[in-house]
Amino acid sequence: MSEKIPATTGPNVEIVETEDAVARRAREAYFTASQRQLIWARFKKNRTAMVAATILIVLVLMGLFAPFLSPYNPTVAGRDKDYTNGAPQIPKFCDEQGCSMRPFIYGVTRERSLATNFRWVTKVDPTDRRYVHFFVEGWEYDLGPLTFNRHLFGVDKGFIHLFGTDDTGKDIFSRTLHAIYTSLAVGTLGVLISFVLALVIGGVSGYFGGVTDGIIQMVTDAIRTVPVIPLFMAIAAFIPQEWSSETRFFFISIIIGFINWPTLARRVRTHLLVERNQEYVLAAQLCGAPAGHIIRKHLLPSFTSYIIVDLVISFPYIVLSETALSFIGLGLKDPVNSLGVMLQNTTSADVLLNYQWYFIPVLFFIALVMAFVYVGDGLRDAADPYGGTKK
Amino acid sequence: MLQFARFAAVRAAMALFTLLLVSLIVFSLMELVPGTCAERYLAFKNTQGSGISIADIEAEERRLGLDRPFLIRWGSWVGNVFLKGEFGDSCILRLNINDLLGDKFLISAAICFASLILAYLIAIPVGILSASSRSAFLNGSLRFVSYLGLAMPNFLLALMIMLFSTVMFGDSMTGLFSNAYRDAPWSLAKLGDFLSRAWLPVFILGWSATAFALQTVRALMLDENDKLYVTAARARGLFGRRLLWRYPARHALGPIVNSLGFDLNRIFNELPIVAMILTLTEAGSLLLESLARSNDQQLAGAIIFLLTATIVGLNFVTDIALALIDPRVRKSVMGG
Repeated sequence: MSEKIPATTGPNVEIVETEDAVARRAREAYFTASQRQLIWARFKKNRTAMVAATILIVLVLMGLFAPFLSPYNPTVAGRDKDYTNGAPQIPKFCDEQGCSMRPFIYGVTRERSLATNFRWVTKVDPTDRRYVHFFVEGWEYDLGPLTFNRHLFGVDKGFIHLFGTDDTGKDIFSRTLHAIYTSLAVGTLGVLISFVLALVIGGVSGYFGGVTDGIIQMVTDAIRTVPVIPLFMAIAAFIPQEWSSETRFFFISIIIGFINWPTLARRVRTHLLVERNQEYVLAAQLCGAPAGHIIRKHLLPSFTSYIIVDLVISFPYIVLSETALSFIGLGLKDPVNSLGVMLQNTTSADVLLNYQWYFIPVLFFIALVMAFVYVGDGLRDAADPYGGTKK
Repeated sequence: MLQFARFAAVRAAMALFTLLLVSLIVFSLMELVPGTCAERYLAFKNTQGSGISIADIEAEERRLGLDRPFLIRWGSWVGNVFLKGEFGDSCILRLNINDLLGDKFLISAAICFASLILAYLIAIPVGILSASSRSAFLNGSLRFVSYLGLAMPNFLLALMIMLFSTVMFGDSMTGLFSNAYRDAPWSLAKLGDFLSRAWLPVFILGWSATAFALQTVRALMLDENDKLYVTAARARGLFGRRLLWRYPARHALGPIVNSLGFDLNRIFNELPIVAMILTLTEAGSLLLESLARSNDQQLAGAIIFLLTATIVGLNFVTDIALALIDPRVRKSVMGG
């Protein structure tokens, strides 16, 4: 009958937390949290950045699993020679002849004759339904030592081109996915290179200070006044034509990595200039630690999070540099797919007027770069220990 | 006054030193490229059907002075550029580079400066406004627009505008001059024709510059807005535009003036590609052409050097201007 009153003494005492204790625990969690946990907690509160991070993860996965997701080989080997410059084909469920559970597209026929004024004219044949199947077998691709031939989707006969085809009949959807992968690869490589350069140069300059710093800063400033893209266009222009596409890819990544280092090097230097006068550095020096050891073990870890943030922020610019170089024909070349390569021939009036689906990949790239910029921005805010107090 | 002259002299010497260093970098990079000018020229002649021997190449190298050591050649190149303003001859075209570049470089510089001015005309008022406004919607959308400016490279914007105008108006709006004026000497009518077409590259180049400048102005204003002197001014009853212009905006001005050089750098970066898409006949597209088609080191080097010199010059001017307009810098320069 009587309500159960929690025992306050004895062995069955229930632990009732007062508000004070809850608050204290939260505070304690806050004080004992690692840097990473704090950043993550602040990052989670930023809704735009979380949305951007989700989009970014989806795009990265699309890039990583490009061979599985794309129905056709993105190179000339996978071309559909009967459907060049073909319009996008959107699968649908219903038409005048009724609905089907399985999405389908229509088959097409091409004709060029006196009746069509000797232009290729594509006719859609609504009676010829091609059904979309999932996990179909298709072209072979390698993942490490293994070879696979399963793909997410395909049609039972003929070809399906979600984003249409280009002038040689290559599937633009497949090319877009592979281009995302290429951009991510170039970006990662370029970021790593500029990161190492910035660490070494900024580290030396900041740690030693004095004359060394003065000279390095003068050179860095001089380099910062040169418009780098024209300069690297000059180098890229002289890549021998006979280099294979892989060599070319690495060389271009290295060039692009060189574009970005001065900004980061400056940040590293400024930070080191402040930190090198701290007691813990003096203690290490007194223990006889060599300079390289102190920079590596004591100084750099003190601002790892800022470096990571800087790297994320510089990523989109590296991707864009690659796109720009490839676009003007000085970067990556054809068998490799990248946005720049895909947009190379789109300035002609023919494409602008008739084949606008060439521009579909642009949307993905704007999404990729925007996602990176927003995530970088969110990370920067989250990594700033004073960021929370301003609001 | 004497002290100011000394300050200006030191700055000028530093600018000159930077230019020398840059010229060394540009020259060495040009040197790293495989093949000398003589080989390339003769290889070109070879394709035209005349047989070439090793002796021919060596004779040509001697004629061009390519047999001298690297540093001496750099010295004479720099000497010619600085003392006479001569860039020598183009390797492939066999034309004087000064004649070749002519007013093309001036056109490029004019387009870039116009975009820079456009960018700041928009960025300063909008940036100040967005920093002092608490509207989440305004700030969010401004942020989106300016990130879009960063994320969408200029050449994509140019492509999109071409796509749009071709579909809508049937004219791709490319080129700097209409056919009637392309080879005509400069006149008022030609200038008018130029202006009616030049606004598009100016707009395209200005777009991402605006995005960047907007971010800078906004961040600077946000920093200044929280400072005590602003609070003090507000406590004295100042508000609105009067408060913003008289206190935080003046403080934020210094770093903005300082960053002009790097903004110009960014615009120059984009110039060649935009120029190529819009088929502008100016130095940027000439640079691309000299690189992509004719492997013309001398011409490319001269253009890159001129671009850099413009930036260094602007940096020098902004340094001096800052010393004149900012009392804090003036005091540290004049020492009193």
